[in-house]
Amino acid sequence: MTEKSDEQVELLHSIIKARFSKFLTSEDLERVKEDLRSIKESSDAMASVKLRNADEPFFVFKPYKGRKARL
Amino acid sequence: MKQTPLYMPIRQLSKHIRDGEISPVELTEFFLTRLEKLGPTFNAVVTVTRDRALNQARKAERQIKAGRYKGPLHGIPYGVKDLLATRGIPTTWGAAPFRNQVFDYDATAVKKLDEAGGVLCAKLAMIELAGGMGYKQPFASFTGPPKNPWNPNMWTGGSSSGSGAAVCAGLVPFALGTETWGSILSPANNCGVTGLRPTYGRVSRYGAMALCWTLDKIGPLCLTADDCGLVLEAIAGPDPNDPTACSELWRYKHRVKRRFRLGLPKGVADNTHQEIQTCFNQALNVLRQISTVEEFEFPELPYEAVTRTILNAEAASSFDEFTDSGAASQLTAPEDRYGPYARTLVFARDYLKAMRLRGIIARTVDAAMARFDAVVAPSSRRIATPIDQEFRKATEGTTRDIMGAIGNLAGLPSISVPCGFTTSGLPVGIQFMGRAYDENIVISIANVYQSLTDWHKRHPNIPLD
Repeated sequence: MTEKSDEQVELLHSIIKARFSKFLTSEDLERVKEDLRSIKESSDAMASVKLRNADEPFFVFKPYKGRKARL
Repeated sequence: MKQTPLYMPIRQLSKHIRDGEISPVELTEFFLTRLEKLGPTFNAVVTVTRDRALNQARKAERQIKAGRYKGPLHGIPYGVKDLLATRGIPTTWGAAPFRNQVFDYDATAVKKLDEAGGVLCAKLAMIELAGGMGYKQPFASFTGPPKNPWNPNMWTGGSSSGSGAAVCAGLVPFALGTETWGSILSPANNCGVTGLRPTYGRVSRYGAMALCWTLDKIGPLCLTADDCGLVLEAIAGPDPNDPTACSELWRYKHRVKRRFRLGLPKGVADNTHQEIQTCFNQALNVLRQISTVEEFEFPELPYEAVTRTILNAEAASSFDEFTDSGAASQLTAPEDRYGPYARTLVFARDYLKAMRLRGIIARTVDAAMARFDAVVAPSSRRIATPIDQEFRKATEGTTRDIMGAIGNLAGLPSISVPCGFTTSGLPVGIQFMGRAYDENIVISIANVYQSLTDWHKRHPNIPLD
């Protein structure tokens, strides 16, 4: 992890503390930091692959229309 | 009953039922007794569904006597992982906060088994919330750590732990499990049973606990590959309640008579336990009698990072309210109590990048597999680990799981069959992973492999008393 990555993890960790510290012990909070590092590592690994503008997410949105309206 | 139904494959049991040699009610009583007496020994069962089972068995008996035989599952007892909804019976998701949860409907897979004449005997134990909170150890279920019938000091694998243990210990002839990433193949491997992870969408997810909408799959754990085919045919197919379910019915075609072409990912067994490598190499020698085995490489892509990002993002959303309520503090494993929080900060940008990469990976992997009928690999990179240890720490070599990441990310079918035992008597599995929708091919390969070996016929000796 670079210094910049550590900084990002610390920033994210401060959000977790602000939102969830009432549910977590100080030990838990340290472990959450490890999880945040792991999430950052996955993000970095994905960044190693360049995508084209045309590469769309692998799911399809379909507009929905219910039963025919009565005229 | 003239002969014991214990460890009898479904095809054989159903022949005895059809011929009137085994009564569905007697058969159901036989397995209910085993579930009640032995289930607690292995922490394999959450609820024995005795009343529902006997009602269904009596109904099956009446129908069969009246000449209305439905097919190979008619009158056959089974169990389901306790994350499938069952009307009026608790569905706990393996987790203390949900121990009193009761739905007023059956999951589609359960409904389909009901229609096929199956007899639901038990809701089976599982890792809490299907392992979705990031568990690291077997003691992550409110029903206690699932114990391996081959050695109760060792783990069953998870998260479909009770499904693997129950089939292995002869508590039910077959069970349903689910897999998001590894949860069918892992218990199949550790318990020495046959487990099938179907193509994503082959089986409706309606009524199953949602962990990750684009990764969750339901599949059977059985004594044989043939049994997996019979069960899959019953539970597969369209469902208006699940828009991702396949639009067509699936028919099990028993065996394909031709020589198979198997792909062997380069180095797939490297850095695994030495005894896994030994069993795997012996299995490859058997497979060379019925197939070509050609080494190849999957292109270098961040398979695990993409799968993990999707899992984290979707699990964070599916358990959003649970996380915000702080209810995770009631979970059994300490790591599950803090596991849900970090993932609430997966960026939408990363999730969408993962979904964009998923398309590239699905096409790339399919192209790499196109010249093969299936890819062959160890079912797991580990043998059953001690029940009181974190399983990653107790594993020799790498804990990376490229096969699991690729298979689940691309939604590919895979079947795990036992292929040997360690010197300490623990089972080892081999998997055949096919291209999307190629369940008949992977089951056929497993069928032929099981016709040449007897690993699947070995069972732990578990006296009833």
